[in-house]
Amino acid sequence: MAGLILSQVVIGLVNGMLYVLIAVGLSIIFGMLGIVNFAHGAFIAVGAYLAVTLVQNFGWPAVVLAPVLTGLIGVIVEMTLIRHLYGKEPLLGLILTFALALFFEAALKFTFGGDARPFDPPGFLSGLIVWGPILLTTYRLAVLLVTATVLVAFWAFLRFTRFGRIIRAGSRDAEMVGLLGINLPIVFSGVFGIGCLLAGIAGLLVGPLWSLQPSMGNDAIMPAFVIVTIGGLGSYLGAAVAGLMVGLVGALTIQFAPGWSAASMYVLMMVVLLVRPRGLFGESWERFE
Amino acid sequence: MSQIKKPSSSLLLPIGRRGLLKGGAATAVSSLAMPWVSRANADAPIQIGMVWAKNGPLSGQGQYLAQGGLLALQQRKNMLMGKPAEIIWLDESSPQNSAQNAAKLMGEDKVVGVVGGVISAFALAIAPVAEKMKVPFIAANGAADELTGVDCNKYTFRSQPPVHVHREMFGPYCKALGKKWYLITAAYAYGQDIKKEFTDYAKENGIEIVGADEVPLSATDYSSYILKIRAAKPDVVIGGVVGGGLTAFLKQWEQLGMRGKIPFTEISIGCTDIWGVGPKAADGLFTMTWYYTNKKNSPAEQQMAADYLATYKRPAADKAWMGWIAMKSLLDSIEAAKSTKPAAIVEALEHWSMPRGDINLHYRTFDHQMINRALVVKVKPKITDQWDYFDVLAELPKSPAEVEAVYGTQAQSACKMGPV
Repeated sequence: MAGLILSQVVIGLVNGMLYVLIAVGLSIIFGMLGIVNFAHGAFIAVGAYLAVTLVQNFGWPAVVLAPVLTGLIGVIVEMTLIRHLYGKEPLLGLILTFALALFFEAALKFTFGGDARPFDPPGFLSGLIVWGPILLTTYRLAVLLVTATVLVAFWAFLRFTRFGRIIRAGSRDAEMVGLLGINLPIVFSGVFGIGCLLAGIAGLLVGPLWSLQPSMGNDAIMPAFVIVTIGGLGSYLGAAVAGLMVGLVGALTIQFAPGWSAASMYVLMMVVLLVRPRGLFGESWERFE
Repeated sequence: MSQIKKPSSSLLLPIGRRGLLKGGAATAVSSLAMPWVSRANADAPIQIGMVWAKNGPLSGQGQYLAQGGLLALQQRKNMLMGKPAEIIWLDESSPQNSAQNAAKLMGEDKVVGVVGGVISAFALAIAPVAEKMKVPFIAANGAADELTGVDCNKYTFRSQPPVHVHREMFGPYCKALGKKWYLITAAYAYGQDIKKEFTDYAKENGIEIVGADEVPLSATDYSSYILKIRAAKPDVVIGGVVGGGLTAFLKQWEQLGMRGKIPFTEISIGCTDIWGVGPKAADGLFTMTWYYTNKKNSPAEQQMAADYLATYKRPAADKAWMGWIAMKSLLDSIEAAKSTKPAAIVEALEHWSMPRGDINLHYRTFDHQMINRALVVKVKPKITDQWDYFDVLAELPKSPAEVEAVYGTQAQSACKMGPV
């Protein structure tokens, strides 16, 4: 039994890391642009479809282009549609990104068909790893390592680069950043593109695990919102901790009370918000007060 | 002394002889002046409704069901009773949304019949709307027992065999695989029916249930469930996971090294669920309502498969057949009734039949359940065609008498149907 629980913990960690990746993209777009991006799930699907297309046509090494292309699509979407909404009624952003989600789903369906498409992990990542009582697939271990690397690299980017500092400052007071002479429109496009790039990485990684179909991102969006809420708005550390908590609680609930598995993350959110209404690491943000 | 009052004349329309003559003349003049008004009504196409998922995880199945329905009308050159006919297809994303769109079709668009309900929960939501609006509805993809059981009504028909029928046909196959079962089913009406039916079957046949999990419809990761199954060491897994959930489950089942180690079985799956899994991970023993390479397909079904291939450039999935047979039965019945009146169509549906081998497909009058066989199919050991994943092992039940018997008798049915 202990071995089974340890294996569930590891699976919970892998799922949690994927959720973190999705939630961080959602969080930086909201933090900087004030847009609740309902199309984030659609960008996950776009990333997955680009990945399978690149693999089929150019082999696995080409797959790294999938998130980059997803990010570029995000930049184009920001430059043509999203930027017209800054400073306007927040509801408009919700409506537009919801419409974008439907548009991308329909576009994927039109291009690739509505059926789920086969997408297996690469041959060198097939197989199982058994460490004592812990059972894990090689692919999931790779997902864990890639996700952890991406998240650490992104943290370092935010922490140590000039653009990262601009993003962090802009999340708190975009107007002040603009007054300092920084070209905000370019920053905004970059931030939306980075958020979509992270969604593209998530799409690439979950493609071989989930059912690859145009609506595949829809089910990932709600956990991502819950993680952002639990972690605290705009907190990178909060998103990371909350993602792992949601993954772990989900896996352990399946083990001990499977009937509650769908509700477990909401119960967790409720408990956290009762104790800390701003989330685990949330701070007071003037612009959202 | 009480006096019976004459109705007040003010309650009656004040139309006298002159008024009537004036009205008649005005109508005659207006029809001369605007002849297209009356002609438009006469030439207005007969409208049929479809409610199938266009978006979301169920849209993969929805598109095939819809294509089958469209094909059934196309095979008639889009004509019914010598008039043009057209299909209005609305989306469904939840039971509430299914019911709303069905009500819109029946109330605003005045369709003469509706085919739809991509899953049992959606079909169960449409059925009471059909009863209230008095418009015939055919549930083509809902297998929950209630549809033609306790929740049946005079306007609702069902072309898919219900869960208990699949169980009766498939139970012996699962039993032959072993006497320790693990159930993993979706947490809604259909999955809960599978759980109940197979648990009952296990009790009746001395089979031990070593585990049973209900999975949320929104689940994307099944590895935690698979670890539990692996630890429970069952002889066979009875699934009740639907659509993209089944696809994800089988992919993760293979990745965790379970493919071929413990047999996976499930009733009433669709081709599309397995196409998405891919040849490497596809595995299992299933029931299915129809398969395009089955040598026992009737001439009409073979024609449908050929027409589908010509139109959509790929083989007809089982869901395409399900959409087709439901729509065909409705269109045949409208034609037979020579009327678009609901009561006439309901009566014609109750008398509709189509030969298939040694049986006639038909709806029973007492519960409106279509009588048909089901197939037992197994994933091929080696898949060389991107569409052809299955070997058909059997068509069950074997004899026509057994086919009737497996659906149960009127006395056994929970359906208590009112009049039209």
